[in-house]
Amino acid sequence: MRGTGRSPVVLGQGLSLYIHVPFCDAKCTYCAFASAPVRPGDEKLYLESLKREITARAENSPAIATLYIGGGTPSVLSPVSWDALIGIVERGFSFSGGAEVTVEANPGSLTREHVELWRGWRVTRVSVGVQSFDDRRLKFLGRAHDAAQARAALALCMDAEFSVSLDMMFGLPEETLRDWMTDLKTALSFGTGHISVYQLTIEEGTPFARQNPALPEGYAQYRYAQWRLARAGLEQYEVASFARHGQECRHNLNYWDDGEYIGLGPSACGYVNGVRRTNAPRLGDYAAMTLRGLPIISEERLEGERAARQAAVLALRTKYGITWKNFAKRYGAPVASAIRRDLERFPADIVTNGAEASSLTPKGFRLGNAVWAEIIS
Amino acid sequence: MATDPDKIRNFSIIAHVDHGKSTLADRLIETTHTVESRNMKSQLLDTLELERERGITIKLVPVRMNYRAKDGGEYVLNLIDTPGHVDFNYEVSRSLAACEGAILVVDAAQGVEAQTVANAYLAVEQGLDLIPVFNKIDLPSASPERAAKETEEIIGLDASNAVLCSAKDGTGVDEILERIVTDIRPPSGGKDTPFAALVFDSVYDNYKGVISYIRVVNGDVSARDEIRFMATGERYEVEEVGVFTPEKRAVGALGPGEVGYMIAGIKSLSDAGVGDTVTSARNPAPAPLPGYRHVKPVVFCGYYPIERDEINLLRDALEKLQINDSAITFEPESSAALGFGFRCGFLGLLHMEIAKERLYREFGVELVATPPNVVYRVKLTDGGVIETRRPSDFPSDPTRQEEVLEPFIKATLFLPDAYVGPCIQLCQEKRGVHAGMDYITPERVRLVYELPLAEFILDFHDKLKSATRGYASLDYEHIGYRPSDLVKVDILIQDEPVDAFSFICHRNAAYHRGHSVAAKLKELIPRQLFEVPIQAAIGKKIIVRVNIKALRKDVLAKCYGGDVTRKRKLLEKQKEGKKRMKQLGRVSIPQEAFMAFMDVASDEK
Repeated sequence: MRGTGRSPVVLGQGLSLYIHVPFCDAKCTYCAFASAPVRPGDEKLYLESLKREITARAENSPAIATLYIGGGTPSVLSPVSWDALIGIVERGFSFSGGAEVTVEANPGSLTREHVELWRGWRVTRVSVGVQSFDDRRLKFLGRAHDAAQARAALALCMDAEFSVSLDMMFGLPEETLRDWMTDLKTALSFGTGHISVYQLTIEEGTPFARQNPALPEGYAQYRYAQWRLARAGLEQYEVASFARHGQECRHNLNYWDDGEYIGLGPSACGYVNGVRRTNAPRLGDYAAMTLRGLPIISEERLEGERAARQAAVLALRTKYGITWKNFAKRYGAPVASAIRRDLERFPADIVTNGAEASSLTPKGFRLGNAVWAEIIS
Repeated sequence: MATDPDKIRNFSIIAHVDHGKSTLADRLIETTHTVESRNMKSQLLDTLELERERGITIKLVPVRMNYRAKDGGEYVLNLIDTPGHVDFNYEVSRSLAACEGAILVVDAAQGVEAQTVANAYLAVEQGLDLIPVFNKIDLPSASPERAAKETEEIIGLDASNAVLCSAKDGTGVDEILERIVTDIRPPSGGKDTPFAALVFDSVYDNYKGVISYIRVVNGDVSARDEIRFMATGERYEVEEVGVFTPEKRAVGALGPGEVGYMIAGIKSLSDAGVGDTVTSARNPAPAPLPGYRHVKPVVFCGYYPIERDEINLLRDALEKLQINDSAITFEPESSAALGFGFRCGFLGLLHMEIAKERLYREFGVELVATPPNVVYRVKLTDGGVIETRRPSDFPSDPTRQEEVLEPFIKATLFLPDAYVGPCIQLCQEKRGVHAGMDYITPERVRLVYELPLAEFILDFHDKLKSATRGYASLDYEHIGYRPSDLVKVDILIQDEPVDAFSFICHRNAAYHRGHSVAAKLKELIPRQLFEVPIQAAIGKKIIVRVNIKALRKDVLAKCYGGDVTRKRKLLEKQKEGKKRMKQLGRVSIPQEAFMAFMDVASDEK
């Protein structure tokens, strides 16, 4: 087992970078992310502002070990804009050898041109937002693509020999376990090394929240995914993430390791020197703020025990859990033992408390909130 | 200068609830110009906001009226109002003890009701002169003939000289005033005998201390007199005496037969108890005046502040309330679930409810009331007897119980004959024992049942109302303790008994009630990480078991760089929610479960 406390050093002498692309083909009914359909001039405004934000940060940042371009839907950006985006990133940052570079793509907007552009650049991973292979379900979710497009997009990415991840969603209204089994089976048939599974949740302010649909509990679906994906060789390494050995997303692991990262673009969040900073979510505000300085609208710094407990919760999202030696070194021995004592109160089928590390069992992953709520400050 | 006793008339008005007692009182006050009509507000004597809202009288308010009679004499009429509800029967007898006569009001449309009979008999027992008045004759449905027939047949009073009255439009009011003078005898006390007066009520004033309401029987009292309370022996110097106009107005002296108030720097109500006799310290009366029977609370419940740190506020409020309402008792108790509170005793359910509301309105204390219960007597096998005020007073080992006795009441119901069936059924369900039934008219029935008080206080009023569409009237009296097959049912959560959920019931109802409590708890206690059994047990014998299944899924789907803060806040909220729950062993029980249990006991059938 890998230990926690993997600092950027372990990741490869560098920093993590997240770039948010605030555009979508269509706004999904359940989505609460900062994104909007593209209007004329928006892409240009976005790229100019992003460039200004990078300049304004003027950090002599170390080489980038992982980059994640997410959204929104980065594949909505036209190949011409992509060319510009690549130029901006390359001028702003250097990359360490073997850097992991992930791009999110949606089947509705992904083209061969995108794939070729990414292939020619540094992209190593593509995360495809499939959600389902059932047209009825896709329509319900308000997705801009159908199942055929999803298959085509996946094939395109696999052929380009990217490390491919696909996102699948369960817990739709009136969903049966069989619906989900069928969907997962199709997802597995592509042989990708990484699958993320998410339960549909109702986020405030979305069209969904207004409809307030009745959603299934999702216990059976989630438990089935844990069982089925493991059987296909995709080990659950985090609450929502399953991967073949070596295909875990290093960028995300850095989040859960309480590692630092830079966030660029509207609504992006960065975490440097213990401070989380969030950018203005709307493109207009973001752009205007970059004209005057940094587009930051909020900051948060957790101190002492609160920071340690936050880190513990993040670490427990992964199969590695908390490695006590490292944890005590980073956050102090007293808080480490306090958390350890909290965790020892849970039954062994929920939390494994080993000599080296404490981590959630598969059942523990299903009950994460109940455990985390106990140890959060 | 004290008034000549021959020119004084002291009277009460007694009636069934809603028969127009307060309206008649208002009309008398208005007609005698005691209060300027511009200052009249409806139901003047109901001083508590709560009384006016509910249209009931709780506290006694005396009022003094000046009246010029047809014989040319100037009379002083002292009206001592009485509460109408059966819970406050003891206050009725207090008022009556201060009077020589009473107006018996009967609603001419409704006829004689249960409390008409009870109150009329109280007045007759005290030897009062009665003036029957048939009220509401302005109503199209009024039938004075029927009212007269019922008064004669049911109560046994001569109704031939009854006054026909409409307090609403003023008909008959003059005649009533005249009849008060002619039909009610003047007070008989002597001027030269030692001062003796009955304390028939008292209120607490923040500035003046205790204000005693007194009816002078013999002698007179004025400021600077030294007086003594005969029961306690406490001596005071009188600071002020006065009369009720109805506002308090100081006078030089109160003489025989007069009704008024006395202020004497009394700091504690217990030193000047209601029912006590005040006399002169220097020249005391040879014996106290006949007092009233001491009322004992019959219904108990726990009061707990919703905010736990308000316990001292609640104590202060209860102390002040008790000064005004001496029938309330309270003693500290604590509950594992609700923290610190008080076990309070009341005369009945309405009394309990009103006390709770007064605590909130007058003192700003919000509280949780546990379900009411009665006092049981448990005879032990070793010969001892326990009086239980709460389920936990029962012996934990039921084999130590020789016998359990519970208080019974005799309930008298007056109802249209169409509702006899449902009423009998209700009384049987409530473990009632049939004690008599007769037709008082061809359409109206008097039904008498002996009922366990515990069943009666649960929801008898509500059930009766719905069984008879509100057409039944009710009166009851306590008839002592009787043996019953009662058991204490404990509720066990994760094998641990939880005191707050224990209850006493008849053995035959134990399974049913145990099951509904367990089912309700199952609904309200959130799933835990392990299965939680909820059991109902009599002693060691488990009679009901339900399980709360273990929580099986509770997880935040995803958490990447931008979600960290928001997810943490969600978890903190979840933790906060759990902290507000009561931790019993490993099980977290939300406060609502305890609250809901309060309801279950009464939802229960």
